[in-house]
Order: sequence, then C-alpha cells, then structure tokens
Amino acid sequence: MTKPLPLEGIRVLDFTHIVAGPQCTRILGDMGAQVIKVEQGQAMDVTRSAMLGGIGGIPGPNRSGMFEYFNRSKLGITVNALMPAGLELIKRLVGVSDIVIENFSSRVLERWGLSYEEQCELKKDIIYVSITGFGHIGRYRDYSTWGPTAQALSGLTFMSGLPGERPAGWGYSFLDHTAGYNAAIATLMALHHRNRTGEGQWLDVSQVESGMVLTGPAVLDYTVNGRPYRRAGNPPGNRSTHPRVAPHNTYRCAGDDEIVSGEPRRRWCAISIFTEEDWGNFCVAIGSPAWTNDPKFSSNVDRILNEDELDRLIEEWTIDKMPHEVMYRLQSAGIAAGAVQTNEDKIVRDPQLRSREFIQKVVHREINEPFETDSLPIKFSHTEGAKIRQASPPLGADNEYVLKEILGMSDEEITEMAEQAVF
Amino acid sequence: MTISSNSQTQPMALEDMVVLDLTDEKGMYVGKMLADMGARVTIVEPPEGHPARHIGPFYQDKPDPNNSLLFWYNSTNKESITLDITTAKGVQLMKEMVKKADVVLESFQPGYLDSLGLGYETLSKINPRLIMTSLTLFGQTGPYRDLKGSDLVSMAMGGPMASSGYDTLPDSPPMCCDGWIGYATGCNFAVIGTMTAVLYRDMTDQGQWVDVSIHEALSCTTEAAMPNWFFDRKVPMRQTGRHHGLTPTPSTQYVSSDGKLVNGFDIPPRSLDRWNRLVEWMDEKGMAEGLKDDKYRELISQGVRNGPEMDFLRDRITEFIASQTADDIYHGGQKIRLAWAVIRSPEENLDDEHFRDDRGFFPQVEHPELGKSFAYPGAPAIFSRTPWQMRRRPPLLGEDNEKFFSDDMGLSQDELVILRESRVI
Repeated sequence: MTKPLPLEGIRVLDFTHIVAGPQCTRILGDMGAQVIKVEQGQAMDVTRSAMLGGIGGIPGPNRSGMFEYFNRSKLGITVNALMPAGLELIKRLVGVSDIVIENFSSRVLERWGLSYEEQCELKKDIIYVSITGFGHIGRYRDYSTWGPTAQALSGLTFMSGLPGERPAGWGYSFLDHTAGYNAAIATLMALHHRNRTGEGQWLDVSQVESGMVLTGPAVLDYTVNGRPYRRAGNPPGNRSTHPRVAPHNTYRCAGDDEIVSGEPRRRWCAISIFTEEDWGNFCVAIGSPAWTNDPKFSSNVDRILNEDELDRLIEEWTIDKMPHEVMYRLQSAGIAAGAVQTNEDKIVRDPQLRSREFIQKVVHREINEPFETDSLPIKFSHTEGAKIRQASPPLGADNEYVLKEILGMSDEEITEMAEQAVF
Repeated sequence: MTISSNSQTQPMALEDMVVLDLTDEKGMYVGKMLADMGARVTIVEPPEGHPARHIGPFYQDKPDPNNSLLFWYNSTNKESITLDITTAKGVQLMKEMVKKADVVLESFQPGYLDSLGLGYETLSKINPRLIMTSLTLFGQTGPYRDLKGSDLVSMAMGGPMASSGYDTLPDSPPMCCDGWIGYATGCNFAVIGTMTAVLYRDMTDQGQWVDVSIHEALSCTTEAAMPNWFFDRKVPMRQTGRHHGLTPTPSTQYVSSDGKLVNGFDIPPRSLDRWNRLVEWMDEKGMAEGLKDDKYRELISQGVRNGPEMDFLRDRITEFIASQTADDIYHGGQKIRLAWAVIRSPEENLDDEHFRDDRGFFPQVEHPELGKSFAYPGAPAIFSRTPWQMRRRPPLLGEDNEKFFSDDMGLSQDELVILRESRVI
C-alpha cells in the first residue's frame, strides 16, 4: 500500500496569481493537497504572458517558464467570476473546499459576495487565506505592493548594501516568496486547529509584515537601546556586525569564461572567519604568506581595526582563483567559504543539489516533453511529499475533471455553461 | 510576566504541541514561530547558554547571556532549561524528555546528535510519534553535508546574492542582506516541514524525521533566476535596488525633496488610467506642463517602454518626486494605485499607524526583571480565531529548570542539586 501524502484529502481553491500566492499554493500542492487554480480566460495569471516566455521556443500562455515555475502540482480551471453562472460555479467549489486562498487586492472577494462570513455560509469550517501588501485590516488596506515595494517599506531593502552608498536591496521579489511561505505556515497551523476543533478561520497575511518580522533584532536595538539602524556604517555590506568578526566578506575571484550568456563576468567567493582557530587554519590554507604573521592581524580585534587592509590582502590570494577553487581549498581546512553561485552554477555544477534530487524532471503538460525544475527543500523520512506531482496546468486544462469528478456536473450542464462563455 | 492586549482566554492554534528546541542561531526562529502560536517550546541550552546569547546587539550594550537582543527576539514565548547533552546523564534525561514531546528541533552538524546517542533512530524507538526537524546548512546527505557555513555563505551559495547588488558601481560585490535572513528562510521551510509532519502524524500516528536544507531553501527563493536558466539558459544581471534582468531596466530609486529615497515602480505607468491620474496630480502641483499631450497617452496605450519620449517622461517624474516629500510621494502614489514606497529603515515602521495601531503589529513586551517594557515586532499574520499572542518575554538562562525538572519530570530537590553541582544543568 502506498503511504498517503501528508496533505492528501485537503482541497484548496486557489485564486492566486503572479508569485506570492502561487508560491504558497505550490507548497500545499507538492505536499499532496488538491489545489484547483482558478483563472479567467480573459484575466489569466499574468505570468502566462509576461516576464519569461516560450518554452520550446514557442510563445503562448502555456509556454511561460515563469508560470511553469510557480504553478506545478496544481489543477487549472477557467471560470469567469463576472458572470452570474460563473460566480455560482465558484460558490459551489467553495462549498466543497477546505481552504480558499487569494492574493487579489483587498476588496475583490467581498465584491464577489465571498467575504469570509459569506464563505462560512457555503462551508462552515472554511479556512480563508488572503495575501496582500498591507493586509485586509487597517487604513492602508487599499494600498498595493510588488515585491520591491514591500521590501522597501519593511526595511529589508535598506539592510542590504554597502555603507555610504544607496541601498542595493534585493534583486528580485524576495518578499513574494516569503509572503507565500508565511501564508503556507499560517495555513498549516490553521489546519491543525481545524482538525482538532472543527473550527475554520480567516488568515490575513501582509507582504510588508512578512518582511518586518525578519528585522527583529534591528528593531529591538532601537526600542531597547535607542539606536536606529539608519546610522553611519549601515548597512554593513557583507561584513559581520553581529557577531563582530573579521575577516567576513566577499572577495573577487577570477572571471568565469564558462558563462554562456553575456560577457564573462567577475566572480566572487564569500569567506567567514569566526574564531581564532578558524583564523589559524585559514592562514595555513592560503600558504601562510608573511603578512599573516603581522601583529596587526593577530587577534579578532586587530583584524577588525585593520579590516580594509586585511580584505585587500585576502583578495590578493583569491583574485586569480575560480570561486569554487577558493571554496574547496578553504572548506577542506574547515573554513566557512562559499562561491557566490549563479543560477547556472546551482543547476549545472552544484553536486549537492543534484545528489539530493532537489532538481527534478517533470513532463510539460502541453508539449509532453520533460524539463528540469527545482523542488521543495524538505525531505521526509516516512512520507512521500515534497515531490513535484505534475507540471503546471495549461489554461483550463482541468475544467472537465473538476466539473465532472469534483462537482459531478453532467455533459449537458457543462455544454450549456460553455455556450454562455462561463469558462 | 505576561503582557498582552490579547485576551488570554482565546484558543491558540498549537496549544497541544510540546517542542524541545535544541537549535543554535540558525534555527531558533523555528521554535519562535511555533511558540508564538501556542506551542510549549522548551529551549534545551548548554549550561553556558545558547550560542545566540553570546551574539549582540546587547541590552545597554552589556554582553551577558540574558542581554542578547538576537536571542530575545527569537525566544519569545519559550521556556529555558539548561542541560549538557554531551554528558551521559544529559543523554539519559533527554531520552526521558522525548517521551512526552511532539517535536524535537535541532540544527547541529549532521551526525552530531547521533554521535551522542540522540539521533532520530534512537529517539524514534523511544517515541514513534516523535517528529524531529533537522535544519542544517546543506541537509543530512550529499557531498556538501559536512561543509562549514555562515548566513553570508548560505546567501552566496543559494543564489540570492548573485541577483542582488549594484549596476551603478563598477566591479562591486554581490550583496547579502544584513540580519540573518538566509537562515530565516531555512527556518520558514523548517516550520512548513514540521507542521506538515504534525498533520501527517495526526492522520497516521507515524512520526518522522524532517530534513531541511538552508542551501536548498535559498536556492528556490530567487524568483526568475532559476527559470531563467531552466528554460532560457540565461544568467540575469544585478541591478541597484530592483529586479535582476537579462537586459538592463531603468532605475527605480528616486530622491524626494526631504532627501529620502523612494522606491518607484511602473514609471511611467503602463496603465492609461494611472498615467492620467498621475498627470492630474502633477498638474495640481504645477508640474505637468507638456505632459498632457495626446502623444504620450498613445505611446502608453501602445505599451511603449523605451525611447526618447519615455526617457523624457521618466525625467519629468523624477523632477516631480524631487519636489515632494517622500511621504507625500508614497501616499499620493498609492492613492492613484501606483505601488510606490519610501525606503525605510526597520525602526521607521514603529510610527506607521497602519501597522502599529490598526494591526497591532508592535506589542509591548514586559521584562519585569528590568522593570521595563519594549515594543517587539509581532504577528506574521492575523489569525481571526487563534491569534498570535505574546504570552511571555524571552526566558532568562535556565529560568525554567526548577519547574521542568522537578514539576514535570519529577526529579527530587536532591537530584537537582547534584545535577547542578556536576554541571549537567
């Protein structure tokens, strides 16, 4: 007998789009929940048409790499919620679901007549998860965010960068991912409560708060010690302020000619030394050049006081080596070091990710050919789980399955609705 | 020592869960998330204190095991006991404790607990319903499992840094966000794995070992970078304060009249409606001259993003932002549905009425031994029925030894004295 998936039997009605919401429902789908992603033909998930396009070199709503990446392990249906018959269909689906998740702006479901209270009338113990920039509660509930907006407000943009320069922030929507993780965590906790008590609830997730909870020690340094994070020397670049240790930075390495897209570019390696023992091992690993015996580097305090010079000298050693060479040489001496890996490095030459089957093959549902993608970073000893179950759904690919198998609709009913352009 | 505007009678989502928390600074946020939602989380610390107790910033800048703000933030609602699990007696007590636990959290180097006789194999024989969640740098298996690391090394190898940095500074480094964010990303997945295993156990009565890799957690947290390679074999470039790109995109950082930085987005707006409303707003401030030309409406309707006209519009909007305060730009932009924001330092949210007042995001936490209370960042999400609650400030070192070992485990006072004197607790 095959073991059940951990979320087997849980049905999720998924109105999410772009990244934050789909990130959440992708996790639930990988864990075995039946996720029904609802799109409207006219208002499909914009990642189908934007950002990346053209798996197999052919553009089209079912060929977007970005959509593919965030919507695996889900069923896909199309329903026009703006038509009464479409809305009726959606309400029937709410009635047979355990969880409703959406990341529309904060008044859309209310407008559909699907506020939390109205959802409860359709399914008494429903768990309703809303994901927005600012949450549905509060005076700025109508404000909107993309990842960089939320990162800017939360403080996470400001915390990334070189001292004395503008913040570098994050080169992508980190808080789209993180709001999705947060929403998945909240959903699993609410499921646990429902399983124990029979009570559903509404979970209001804010993308900005999903970032604010990651700034705790910086906020406490202000509320406890009165020291603002915005001060000279902050953000500290790649140096370590807590604990204050040196060397701890990224170092220039030899360029990489293997990169096929664009120009060869500068490569970097991160090195973190925490203890005197680390330091001693590090000096030996780089061949004990004379400067390592200089008293100005003999203790952590001395190294901090001479950090610029220290970093420059270390870089003289790294500059003609490939980042992975630096990493392996130092790691074999027990030093924390890691190449700054590109997407190509991770996929093509990271033996760890391969050995743990983090990168898996799935068959594209339209072209029927396998492609590679990454998976959940969790391994379970006793369940299947964290496995990609199926590639992402082509637009409306599962209409028939959902209408017939889940709602028990007849061919006649479906044809009638199709004629009214409900799908 | 309890505080809270929350009613103490409200149920908590995880109130039935008992957790033993053996994590170091990599994993302490996992137990915090569980404790904040009602789990009874007991930190099992070495007698000299959890590693994070020795990392700053510190209360009044005085290093002391009870003063670390890093520890404070990540230990709310937890209990603290001391136990030296490297001693035979410590191992014996741990095995006893595991009988009543639902979850053990740990973040040691792979194989370490096993070497003490406290690996999953052993513990699961004592309690088959036990869930052990192991959060490590690279996971329990594979050629990198024994490598050393740091938050910086994790952010380097996992990919966030390759995407983050400056296009405006030549030959400048990829950037790692300050504040242990790499580890926190691993922690998010450790909670997801733990909760999933709890749901599975409740269904099957089967516990299990949950193996979470920080390297993998970050490797799948880089948005378009992975699909860029999987589907297009392309490596994106870093750009200051905005999305990495396969081709360069215009800057999104703007300086306001009060010298602050604003994160602009969608400039000029792609939607004609938003463009019209932006021009109206600029007109009110006398700065829309020449912008009402139908030519621009047409170009925007056609989806044109580049070229001299768009550069002209960006320059005019840049001038407009430079003439207004950051807050006026933020709220004014949001009112016409442009997702603009001020680039804030974390503490600058303490004055935000939406988060502070309407959502109660910054509860005051009382530290009675200091005679003070402090605002802490609060709930990651609002739960309508089982709200996040601040029930207790972070524990002092070994604060709960007495209650735990004598009330819960039934050890006598004599035994406690012996354990203390032999430095087991």
